[in-house]
Amino acid sequence: MLFSWLFPKPRSCAWCGRPSPGGDFCTACRDQLQAWRQRYHPCHYCGRLLLLAKEVICRHCREELPPFRKARAVGPYHGIMKEMIWAFKYQGRRSLAAPLGRLLAGVVVRELGPVRPDLVLPVPLTGARLRARAFNQAGLLALSLGRELDLPVDGDVMARIRETAPQVNLTRRSRWRNLAGAFRVTAPAKITGRNLLLVDDVLTTGATAAACTIALMAAGAASVAVVTLATGIENLS
Amino acid sequence: MEASYNPIFCWRGYVYATWNARSGRLGLSHNPGLDRTFWQQHGYHHFTLLTPPLPLGTAAFLWEWLQRYLHIEGEPRWREVTARINRARLKLGLPPWSIPVNYLPAPLPAPAQAELALVQKSLAGRILWREEIELAMAGNKRGVTAPLENLLHWLFLEGEVSIMPGVGYDPNGEPRCRRCGQSSRLLKVACNTCGSGDCLICENCLAMGQARRCRPLYASSWSSQWPGIKPGREVRPRLQFTLTRAQADAYREAEEFVFQGAGKECLLWAACGAGKTEVACGTITAALSLGKTVLYACPRREIIRELEKRLAAIWPELRILALYGGSPGKFGEADIILATTHQALRFYRRFDLVILDEVDAYPLSEDPMLYYAVTRARREGGQVLFLTATPPPGLVTRVKRRQVKVIYLPARPHGHPLPVPEIIREPVLSRPGTGPLPRRLAGCLDLTLAGNSRMIIFVPAVKLVEEVVAWLLKERPGPAPERPWIQGCYAAHPRRDEIIAAFRRGEFPVLVATTVMERGITIPRLNVLVLYADEEMVFTTNTLVQMAGRAGRSPDHPAGQVWFLARRVSPAMVAACHQIQEFNNLARRRGYLSV
Repeated sequence: MLFSWLFPKPRSCAWCGRPSPGGDFCTACRDQLQAWRQRYHPCHYCGRLLLLAKEVICRHCREELPPFRKARAVGPYHGIMKEMIWAFKYQGRRSLAAPLGRLLAGVVVRELGPVRPDLVLPVPLTGARLRARAFNQAGLLALSLGRELDLPVDGDVMARIRETAPQVNLTRRSRWRNLAGAFRVTAPAKITGRNLLLVDDVLTTGATAAACTIALMAAGAASVAVVTLATGIENLS
Repeated sequence: MEASYNPIFCWRGYVYATWNARSGRLGLSHNPGLDRTFWQQHGYHHFTLLTPPLPLGTAAFLWEWLQRYLHIEGEPRWREVTARINRARLKLGLPPWSIPVNYLPAPLPAPAQAELALVQKSLAGRILWREEIELAMAGNKRGVTAPLENLLHWLFLEGEVSIMPGVGYDPNGEPRCRRCGQSSRLLKVACNTCGSGDCLICENCLAMGQARRCRPLYASSWSSQWPGIKPGREVRPRLQFTLTRAQADAYREAEEFVFQGAGKECLLWAACGAGKTEVACGTITAALSLGKTVLYACPRREIIRELEKRLAAIWPELRILALYGGSPGKFGEADIILATTHQALRFYRRFDLVILDEVDAYPLSEDPMLYYAVTRARREGGQVLFLTATPPPGLVTRVKRRQVKVIYLPARPHGHPLPVPEIIREPVLSRPGTGPLPRRLAGCLDLTLAGNSRMIIFVPAVKLVEEVVAWLLKERPGPAPERPWIQGCYAAHPRRDEIIAAFRRGEFPVLVATTVMERGITIPRLNVLVLYADEEMVFTTNTLVQMAGRAGRSPDHPAGQVWFLARRVSPAMVAACHQIQEFNNLARRRGYLSV
């Protein structure tokens, strides 16, 4: 006890376990998490990654703007971030929730503009999926983000009524239509007139975030911004 | 990704007491109706629950605690029971409840014996989650109609199966993962399966499925009644090679270790490239001929896959099952089981002989969980044979104290001595690129290239790989810049396999690598240079011996050269040279060397 107090163990990287005196992740992991910035920038609206020096808005958003105000992610669904999400979500490595939540908090502060969210909401899971996985990964991320930014978090505002599957061959509008009714706001009074921040792990087609946003806006929310750990790269998807 | 959305079975149940006029029992159950039936059959007609429904980890702790302190003879003394439960409750920080609990479950019918036998057979010698038992039964085409957890519970009551929580508590109330045996990296989390806000999960063994406080592990030790090889059956190996004298001696000693059965642990300490796997066949043969069960465990998946082919050729008539991440048929039956040390976590007191290869290799060397897995896979009284060229210090100490028997295999099949490293001191050895190429390094390169040999330059850090390659290419650009004569490689290198394959094919003569290349590499006409060999954080004695062991393996170039280039001479460098020299001396004394 006294020994460990006198000589505390150096902080270790939440992902690889190597020493990381400077934060949650070691230099090598941090570099890998940020490497995408040398090649890509996010679409102004949906946050999908586009090659630098190309358009500012992705082709999906040129086709039709998403219902949410803005979406941003920590990085692409690729490499180290993909591995982390896999370990967190499917293996159940819950110790990653806090450091990943802090990464999300950084994105909110830097990239989602001056509007301070009034409430943080995780994308809900269906009851069956929740029992199978034993936890809602978006819920854990939202709690960690809320703690970091001192924002209220409420996971009971919205419920997922049915599963949603990727619908790759459909247009953005058709996808949103297909997902209509997948989510239901169970406590509209909590969100009326408020700026909301929706948290999820991955934004691939954006359909789930859009379906949540449509339900929330219909229930009276003032605006919805989305923050995720990972997003797609336009020319790869 | 996720196989299905089937919920994981969550155990929530009671601790109970049952008694008759003379004696009593304490038990735990997720379905106490079954227990009432079982105990009524055994003459215990009074039954009461002592707790409300609790997660398995908590219930198991209370049950063990009460068993330790309460001895029931006739009706329990309720004041004493209440006091004991309250002590245990406070230890775990649980809220109070009234004792006995005012609920009596109705007796349920006993399960069919045929179904119980099927479940017992599927679990024999293993420690599995309920979902894994289901898979094992489906894979072996065994179906049951009763709920599996009820069948398992009945077997638990009969004493055939143990039930333990994924994460349970030590007798002093400290949490510990019962699957991997570790008490670190346990997290208190909200669990949507059991509904608890402070469920415990283990992050050490997540790769093998979530171990939780509410998730039961079922274990059953192997019984000799299960089908195996009949003792005395002819299981002579069809060796595809002739054993050298050194190998034959070690083979015979390894056979004796099993036949005599006196020692429990034995170390086969072999020189790098001496053919220890061939010698291990001696112990396998001896064990099989005695009707014993054998596990060959190794931390590396590639070795298991390669070994599966080799052993199938040696014993074509035996069933050999290889288990590794992604292998098909995890729950099949076999005469010899090969498994990565992670997969050994699924075995429980099953094997009479465990052969543990590469005992000092990553991840085994750094992971107590894997030692725990291998130890638990062994039956009581079972034997372990460690195979390595570089035993970890703890094992060496036990050999010196004669707690572990040792068999030496000091010579390679070609009969030449092991190349003894030459230590080169360069007091002003600079960082790559900050000065001219050290004269002695240039000399080693010239010697290698002039002899039409190849060379691996080991460096102590990943970032040094690219720096050394750039440094050497700058100093010596080579004849064709588009086809560099030197390339670099490390564990996470995107083109790692491609570069190693090209080096093996001889497409370039010099490879700069980290310790990732220290094992499992056999390349003809190879010299080895360890640069900055005094970096003791990376280059330990064992690492240096393994690196030196890459040289001189092929019969056509048995006298490969090894250089340790450093600013100073570290104790590890001296110890490595000494160990290699010792092996050569031993081989010479025993007459194994042909030169």
